Order: sequence, then C-alpha cells, then structure tokens
Amino acid sequence: MLRNDEGLFSIDFLVGFTIFMVALIAVASMVPGLLAGLQSSGIDYDAVAYRTGVILAEDPGWPVDPPWEAYDVNHSGEIERTGLAVSKDAPNILLSTKIEKFFDTSFFDPEDYRSKAIFGDITYSYNITLRSLDGRYNHAVGQETPEGYGYIRRVVKIKEPSVAVINGSFKDRYTISPDDNSTTRTFIVRFDFNRLINLSIDPAYRIDPRTEPVNITITDFEKFLNGTASEATLKSVTFRRGSSSIPFPYDEDDTDYYTLRIDNNPVLYPPEPGVGVSSNISLVLKPAATSLFELGPTSILDVEFNFEDKPPDTNITGIHYYDYNPTNVTRPDLKPAVLEVAIW
Amino acid sequence: MVNDSGQLYTMEGIAAGLVMLLTAYLILSTTSIYTPGDTHIPDMQLEQLGSDVLAMMDTPDSDGGENHLVNLINRSDRDGFNSTFLKYCNARTNGDPDTIHMSASVAYRDGDRIEEHQLVKPDETWTGRESAVRVTRWVQLDQQSTRGDPYGSRAQAVLVEVLLWRA
Repeated sequence: MLRNDEGLFSIDFLVGFTIFMVALIAVASMVPGLLAGLQSSGIDYDAVAYRTGVILAEDPGWPVDPPWEAYDVNHSGEIERTGLAVSKDAPNILLSTKIEKFFDTSFFDPEDYRSKAIFGDITYSYNITLRSLDGRYNHAVGQETPEGYGYIRRVVKIKEPSVAVINGSFKDRYTISPDDNSTTRTFIVRFDFNRLINLSIDPAYRIDPRTEPVNITITDFEKFLNGTASEATLKSVTFRRGSSSIPFPYDEDDTDYYTLRIDNNPVLYPPEPGVGVSSNISLVLKPAATSLFELGPTSILDVEFNFEDKPPDTNITGIHYYDYNPTNVTRPDLKPAVLEVAIW
Repeated sequence: MVNDSGQLYTMEGIAAGLVMLLTAYLILSTTSIYTPGDTHIPDMQLEQLGSDVLAMMDTPDSDGGENHLVNLINRSDRDGFNSTFLKYCNARTNGDPDTIHMSASVAYRDGDRIEEHQLVKPDETWTGRESAVRVTRWVQLDQQSTRGDPYGSRAQAVLVEVLLWRA
C-alpha cells in the first residue's frame, strides 16, 4: 500500500541491494584468483633450487653402501638421490668421484636429474654448474637460464681420492734380503680398516676405500729391479681379506671396478697381466670393487703384486701400509669451489 | 508513481553497485603487494651463502692444516679476512664475480663485559639503507701467547658476525 506519492517501493531497494550483494560475493570469490599473480612461481622456483642445493651440497645421496656413484648404467635405476657430499656429517665437502658421475650426461638423462636431485611434481627445467676456484673442475648440466628463474649458490670444497706413491725412496725398505732364495716376489699394500675408518678423523679427510677410490702407484720401478734386468714380470694382482684369498670376478679390464696401468701404457690390464714392468705400475681400486669384498670396520685388505721370473728380476718385497702416515699416503688438499643451481 | 525529481532508485542502486564493484576490482587487480614471502628469498640466499663461506673458511684444506678463519681472527687481519671472505662469496661458476660487500665484527668477553671489535669496517658502498643480512659463527681461539689485542692470550670462544649486502 502506498504511504506517499513518491512511487518508491521498498522492493526497489531490496532488488538493488540484492544484486549488489550477489555481485560482491562473486567478486570476493574471485579474489584468490586475482591474487594468483602474487603467488609468484619465482618463490616456488627458489624453494626448489634451495632444496636441490641442499641435496647436492649436504647429502651423500642414496644408496651409500655401495655408494650410488659406483653403480653402472645397468643399475642406474636403483639410484634414488644423487647427493655429492662425502658424508652427512661433512656438509659442503663434495667427493670428486660423485661430481664426475653426476655431471656425466652419458650416464644420466634430464629425467634422471629431475627424479634424483630436483624432485617435485612439475617438470622443472634446470641449470646446475660447479667450478673450483683453481679452474680444475668446471661442470655444467641443463639448459640456458631464462628470466625469472629460482636460484641458490653454495660454497663448497672438493675432496679428491688419496694416493700411495711408492717411489725410489722406499728402495731400502722394500728390498728383499740377499739370503732369500725364493723365486717369487710379492709386494703387499695393506688396508687396515681398523686404522682407516677412524671416527676421530673428520670425514672430510678420512680414507674410506668403501666410498672412494684408492690409488696405488709404484714408480721408479727400475730401482727395484735385480742387477741388470730391464724388467720384471707382474704375474698377477690378487686380493686377500685377512688370511683368505678373495676371488676377484673381473678377469677383463672393467673401469667401473678398477684400472691397472703398466709403464704409462694407455692399455688397461686385467688382474693377471703377465707382462714385464720396467718403470711403473698404477692400480686404482674403486668402491664398486671394494664393496664386493664384504669388508667390515675391522677387516684387513691386502692387495698383492706378485712378480715371477726365474731367476727373479726384481727384489721388491714387503708390506706398505695405506694409512694416515703422510710418508705412505698423500691426501690432496680440499679444493674450494662454487655450486650454482638454477630452476625454472 | 514517481514524483517530478525523476529519480529511479533501482537503476541508480544497480549503477552504484557496479561502480563500486568495478572500483574494487581495479584496485585489487592493479595493486602489487610485495609479500613477506618475497622479501625473505634474497635474504635467505645471501644468508646461506654467507654461512657457507664462514663454514668453508673454518674448514682447513688438509687434516691438521691451517684454519683460515681462526688464523685471520687471531692476527686481527682485516685485509686478509676481507679478501678471503669476498673471494669465496663473490665467486660464480661463469667466472664473473658477484657484487657482494661486507663488514665484520668479533664479539668477545673481556672480564665481565662483552666487547665488540670491528674487524672489517663497511666500505664506501654502505649507506645504512641497504637490505643487509647478518651471518654468525662461533670460533674457538686456543690459548696463544703471541696473540695481540684486543682478545688477549687466553683460550676463548668468540662470535664472528658478518654483515652482507649487494651494491
């Protein structure tokens, strides 16, 4: 019923206000979408880059025994994380063998990097680079970085494998006594794990043949030769755990497990080379092989170099301890480096 | 029936509502909000970098070798600390150095008081308005009779504080 002559129904206001409220609610429901632009993907990229940086710099990866870098291409699917750290107790100390494997693009494909280092449901693009300050290490994987990528930079140090150099200075120590009439000559390099896996030694400096290669280099071999002999026959390289011989299943050269070089010859030799040695021998035993030996923290591993000539052409003998004595084993200095991860 | 003012309340209500909604939409869609989530990212990156550098300076290159961080503080070597820190901090994999600057101080105990020694003063790029981050690391100084002022010769733990900024 009209109360005055304005012709204004209360329903007019009701209709207008209702339309306004409906529209306001509709706009309010759109607000999260409006703010989507503020939910910057850059934040997500930075977070993923940070996480990848942590995995690479602070995590040794998985599996650890044997370490993931010891896996061959047929078992690469068993690798779960490709962390580069020496140990979880030594963040920012990277192992050189992990680095070489990680940046080997013939071993890993882009999907491997996403599933083993970057993670996440989205197919992220990446650029991971590492360079040591001395320039010796300079690696990169991934694509060129566009604008607006997530980024993290980590300062690290690179640990390289130790090496035992047995040169002419050891001649008096490792020469057989004149009254020994045996025809075989055996030179042993001994790994006493009770000494090596010493928890009081920082993992950044520890020698652990289970996680990193060990290098045995015999140089100046001519000083160990007998009289006028020009070379001596290296019949075999054998491995013993305590008193028992360890069968070595690789009778051909397999660089994933070991390398045996003689006289700087580019040819790699099997464990029973049966060839003459005149100047040097270099054996690199890798964790993939060491893991087969089932070595515990108190085991003793002997690497035996067996020479056989009649009459003997070399006088080398004795036991060289692969330990923390700097005379016996050289441990290279850690190398400062920088690691950069870009994700987009 | 309407009066002679010719006012259509319903239409005006709708029009006013649409104007308000349009205004609200424009405000919300054109305002750039720099959220706290955005600001902490570069801070986090710089803080992580600074922490890494202090950790690596505190890690000798060889077992039992020289600890750069301890030695530089022991000698109160401001030039050495500055150059060593920035060498690590500004290194990039493409070879082009970054543009990070720093100052550093060492907090130590002197009797009952806690003193602060300005090890590296800010350079000319410091205006006081930089978005700087602070990283710290405790360093153990062994007893050393030859150590100069201000820390004295006794064994003690000191707190190294480094302020980082880009310029």
